[in-house]
Amino acid sequence: MNETSYLLYLISFVLGSVVGLVLSYQKYKSPFAIDKIDVLALIIAIIGWFLIFNSPMLTFIPSYISIAIGLFLMAMVLGMRPGYGRYETLIGLVVGGIIWLLRMVLL
Amino acid sequence: MNLMLNILLNVIIAFLLGSLLFGLQRKVMARIQKRPGPPIIQHLLHTLKFYIKESSFPKTAAMPFYIAIASILCVIWVSAVIVGPVAQGSLLLIFAIYALHKIVEHNAGSSSGSPYGKLSCVRAVFSAAAEVPLFAVLIIIFLKTRTMVISDIIAYQAQNGALLFTIPLAALMFFVLILSKAPYSPFAITKGKDIISGYETEHFGLLRGYLMISESIAWYMLLWIFLTVFLGPLSLLGYLVGMVVISVIVAFINATTPMLNPNHSIMVQVTMAFIGIVGSIILLML
Repeated sequence: MNETSYLLYLISFVLGSVVGLVLSYQKYKSPFAIDKIDVLALIIAIIGWFLIFNSPMLTFIPSYISIAIGLFLMAMVLGMRPGYGRYETLIGLVVGGIIWLLRMVLL
Repeated sequence: MNLMLNILLNVIIAFLLGSLLFGLQRKVMARIQKRPGPPIIQHLLHTLKFYIKESSFPKTAAMPFYIAIASILCVIWVSAVIVGPVAQGSLLLIFAIYALHKIVEHNAGSSSGSPYGKLSCVRAVFSAAAEVPLFAVLIIIFLKTRTMVISDIIAYQAQNGALLFTIPLAALMFFVLILSKAPYSPFAITKGKDIISGYETEHFGLLRGYLMISESIAWYMLLWIFLTVFLGPLSLLGYLVGMVVISVIVAFINATTPMLNPNHSIMVQVTMAFIGIVGSIILLML
């Protein structure tokens, strides 16, 4: 990782957080109260964490691009309206981590 | 890489990461206090918000000093980025920049004419008396490595192992210094809530934006110096992980510790500095 890709990752994280915050305020009109999982957010989080941990699996795009996309998607869920998106982020992290672990053990 | 581009790259990284780390700190503190907390990006949005707000100037402000001082704070921390990550220059320059930071903090408070700013200005002098000795950690580093140049200190650690394990009390001193600069810290007497926002109380719009950018860069730089000087050669990922870990530790301390009154704050810092300096010298002589 060089400084340019480091900056790209930071900008990607920031933009993802902004988009997630804006969209989640449009989707959820009330403050977080019910522990219910948002399926769409869950899918985005899983894809995001998968890309961050397992970018070498996607050989057809450079890893810095797949990591930047992963960070954008992960930040979209992590940066949702306060309270929302935390379970989805946790599940995404665990799934991404398990796939990484399996990749390390099996490959 | 072109030098100007390298500087620009590092300054933007310092600003963005510093802001995100502040946001993370607030999030962790909120979770400890059983609140959802603001989004991690909140501090960054808060900073950017000031650039589209109206800038107004109090009638009591000492012009043009009042405007210049906020810009100077920004300039000195950009200089720190040039001395640190870009040039890996001398730690003495970093010390000078930190000392300047304390002077600017003092003058930002006094130039606004606000009573809260003036109280903060007095406290800045007060806290400088404790924080500057904490920065004396540099002497211990020099005694150990015989150099003040950051790149040489990194090379020394690559050969002899991290300084964190050989001069731990010096690392503790520097950690207390980092803790002092964190918002809501037990030692953050210049911005205590009893004096509203301290020296920033009367800074609005663009000027507040400058101050907040400087604070984010300052936070990044202090963490960068700690990691570089005590943990040796690190990759960019290593720096990121280290900065996140230290910010979370600081958040835990801040969330569970009340803000000390100025006298207690200074006495704790001075005691830590004394223990750190004397203890480290004894350890070096053994």
